[in-house]
Amino acid sequence: MRETIEIIENGDGFVADVTETAATGPVQPLGISHRPSPCRRLFAEYKAQDMPAFIGYLPFGFPDTDLSLEALRTMVDNGTDIVEIGLPYSDPVMDGPVIQAASQIALRNGERIAGVFRAVETVANAGGVPLIMSYWNLIFHYGVERFATDFANAGGAGLITPDLIPDEAGEWIEASDRHGLDRIFLVSPDSTDARLRVVARNTRGFVYAAARMGVTGERSTLDDSSRELVERTRAAGAENVCVGIGVSTPAQGASVGRYADGVIVGSALVHTLLDEHGDVRDPVQGISALANTTAALAEAIHGCRR
Amino acid sequence: MSVLDELVAGALEDQRDRARVTSLDELKAMAASAPAPMDAKRWLRRDDGVPVIAEIKRASPSKGRLADIDDPASLARAYERGGAAAISVLTEGRRFLGALDDLDAVRAAVGVPVLRKDFITTDYQIWEARAHGADIVLLIVAALDDDALGRLLALTHELGMTALVETHTREEIERAVAAGAHVIGINARDLKNLRVDVGRYAALADGLPDDVIKVAESGVFGETEVEDYARAGADAVLVGEGVATAEDHELAVERLVNAGIKVKASQAQPLGTHHGPYYGRFGGRYVPEALVTALDELERVYEDAKRDPEFHKELARLNKQYVGRPSPLTEAPRFAERLRERTGLDARVFLKREDLNHTGAHKINNAIGQALLVKRMGKTRVIAETGAGQHGVATATVCAMLGLKCRIYMGQIDARRQALNVARMRMLGAEVVEVTLGDRILKDAINEALRDWVTNVKDTHYLLGTVAGPHPFPEMVRDFQKVIGEEAKEQLRDWYGIDHPDAICACVGGGSNAIGIMNAFLDDPRVNLYGYEAGGDGPESGRHAIRFAPGTGELGMFQGAKSYLLENDEGQTLDTYSISAGLDYASVGPEHAWLKEIGRVNYSWATDGEAMSAFRDLCETEGIIPAIESSHAVAGAYKAAADLKAKGYEHPVMIVNISGRGDKDMNTAGKWFGYLTDEQSKALEANGAQGDNA
Repeated sequence: MRETIEIIENGDGFVADVTETAATGPVQPLGISHRPSPCRRLFAEYKAQDMPAFIGYLPFGFPDTDLSLEALRTMVDNGTDIVEIGLPYSDPVMDGPVIQAASQIALRNGERIAGVFRAVETVANAGGVPLIMSYWNLIFHYGVERFATDFANAGGAGLITPDLIPDEAGEWIEASDRHGLDRIFLVSPDSTDARLRVVARNTRGFVYAAARMGVTGERSTLDDSSRELVERTRAAGAENVCVGIGVSTPAQGASVGRYADGVIVGSALVHTLLDEHGDVRDPVQGISALANTTAALAEAIHGCRR
Repeated sequence: MSVLDELVAGALEDQRDRARVTSLDELKAMAASAPAPMDAKRWLRRDDGVPVIAEIKRASPSKGRLADIDDPASLARAYERGGAAAISVLTEGRRFLGALDDLDAVRAAVGVPVLRKDFITTDYQIWEARAHGADIVLLIVAALDDDALGRLLALTHELGMTALVETHTREEIERAVAAGAHVIGINARDLKNLRVDVGRYAALADGLPDDVIKVAESGVFGETEVEDYARAGADAVLVGEGVATAEDHELAVERLVNAGIKVKASQAQPLGTHHGPYYGRFGGRYVPEALVTALDELERVYEDAKRDPEFHKELARLNKQYVGRPSPLTEAPRFAERLRERTGLDARVFLKREDLNHTGAHKINNAIGQALLVKRMGKTRVIAETGAGQHGVATATVCAMLGLKCRIYMGQIDARRQALNVARMRMLGAEVVEVTLGDRILKDAINEALRDWVTNVKDTHYLLGTVAGPHPFPEMVRDFQKVIGEEAKEQLRDWYGIDHPDAICACVGGGSNAIGIMNAFLDDPRVNLYGYEAGGDGPESGRHAIRFAPGTGELGMFQGAKSYLLENDEGQTLDTYSISAGLDYASVGPEHAWLKEIGRVNYSWATDGEAMSAFRDLCETEGIIPAIESSHAVAGAYKAAADLKAKGYEHPVMIVNISGRGDKDMNTAGKWFGYLTDEQSKALEANGAQGDNA
């Protein structure tokens, strides 16, 4: 067969590649997506109403796959604006005991990553903005581009990456640009201004500010470091800054919501599905407790500036 | 008519129209008064980066309109600020919507070379490029016969410009070289998955003269492609859509430039002084942002200490007066005899005796170095993980000596296996925390230590015990351990009159003792290097800690670094198993992963059985009881001997690194060899010290 020369899209060489036949043109790679950032759109809307967003976390597959889908729906139905769907990981270094336990339960109950896209659809269909929070090896192993494709197809909005800093995120920055996905990087109270600028510059959607140094988990008190961190992060160029890690009660949510663009609650929600021994609670009781806790947090956070 | 024919014909027609307005003589006059051309070749290749040619691109024939570029000058300036080495300007007007006006605007705006990109087939177009201030022109081999190519190339060079000669096939590359091209554009993409096809690139670029600059021209969009092309050997890249359509053009270019710098730095030689964070594709910092400040501080303090003679003096003093260094290099003639009986190879074998260090292993070398850094940083609390307990003991020891608060995390299973070491650490004043989460072994201890560090990073240093984890740990720990190999090299020469060893054997868990003894020899190709992982029940059993054998480890991120990793089909970390707690780790130091990839170190494994049999061999022949970890290196000596024999060595000199002593392992060994009464055995089992983490 005679070789014909085909122009391929995104070929910055003029005549980019030689194909065996011109009859079936080559598959075209995606360019940069200019789909607006889903989180950014939500924050713009909420800012117009002078209201912070409520972001809730729950691991996918916890306590099991079906129940976790019901739990995610319950969260959206009770006022969660953005849902952070956690991917359970064997070695979660940024998580405290409650989320570690929930992740282990999910893994024991057969959680599979491919199933998480159903959870994404569930949240999107219920009217929430679906994010996935994942330790990087899981996404890397699945294939960054493949994950971005499947996630975007399911209606996903973006990823929170607790152990991926912008400096190491080249492949993800490229994939998220191509698929129009948000990139939520973290900052912590001891981040230098230079680091805050690196994060702000590479983030899309919002910056996740850790309320304190340390791992996820409930705390009875919150110190002032998060307020200062939000201010410093904004000064470093971040448009939207949300606060999480250690925020667990409606009162804490309200106090954070007065200065942050969004309030992130994780362990306190996970907790509603566990009993006092750390075992999974009766599902009916658990979902009902989750609904009540979510509604109380949503009310306090959404109403905190009024 | 092909697309190319059509574009060429259109460009020619447009050129003729322009020639009616501006004659060739007028162009020549303009060229004479244009700014002198820059020697673009000097911009397109460098040792410390991959130059990026960023393109002003409005549209392409297949994709149509890409970006509205009202002000090409300001776009070019953004590219230049981002670090672009040259700006490519499309001047084709029909399908790419470019113009010579764009070239003028860009030329006036930037100080880097400018490329005129068009379908050039006439002398007029070359003169035109120069008249408008271009430093580089594009010549497409597919659009030119040999005569035209040679003529246009000669004219380009005569005018002081550089030609980027675009090729797509092996044949076109040969034509370009024959015509005298200095800069060749190579396209190598796999049309099925649209990724850069490294194999195809290598096949195309193979055999090109060294002085030809290779520019990757197709499919460069983001960092992934820059990295792929750079690792395949491209000198520079040309990128259009990826930067022209980006929201932040400067940042988009900057990212590509940084990706190139990263690749070049990751391949820097000599190996012995290679710097992190990257070792080939491996290494980096896969950590929470909350640790970045502390890692940066550690790196800064370490760099500062390295330049401080007082630091080296103090380290040397402690090594000598406290640790007891240098550790001897002991010849092992009776073991060599057993090796000869077993393999038929008549080798001289030397043992590097890290077992004779204070605390009984090489771990103290690193613990002392880092503890001195803790003092420099003004931190007061030290945390560490430990598997076999050797690193925990070393850390507790130096903390006692320097008056630092110390907490050691240890998996519960390891703590049971190594109950005596737990007692030692407690005697030394350390708090020992048994980790009951996860699999309750070394990796879980590291997770807990990382959680502690994230929480208490202000006053706490994490004294990591091996050449794994985030930068700067792999480099820093290597530097504190490299004394092992430096001493061995000197002792071999001074004590035994031998110039260099032919082989070195070491066990590899995280890999600190192995890097320690190998580093001094990495750049000496006469020395064969062998690393032995913990084979457990063998690679097929699924009960092992082998990361490098086919079908075992995969590329992944774990506890701070990208390296080989034992993981399941979901990317979850697998349980590992070895009779030796110190080698029982799911990942391996990133420098080892690189040394494997470039073929510098030969990695294999020793099973539990092989290691225990070697353990007994060394005890019986030399009166030296090695740690079970080190016994993997002794077992490896038999395998290395077979390899050396196959390579034609007759009387090789081998060094085996005895990284630690085996007193701590007597429970396990006693049980393994049946030297304990049933009663004693039962007592140990009750304690969990059965030498098995099942």
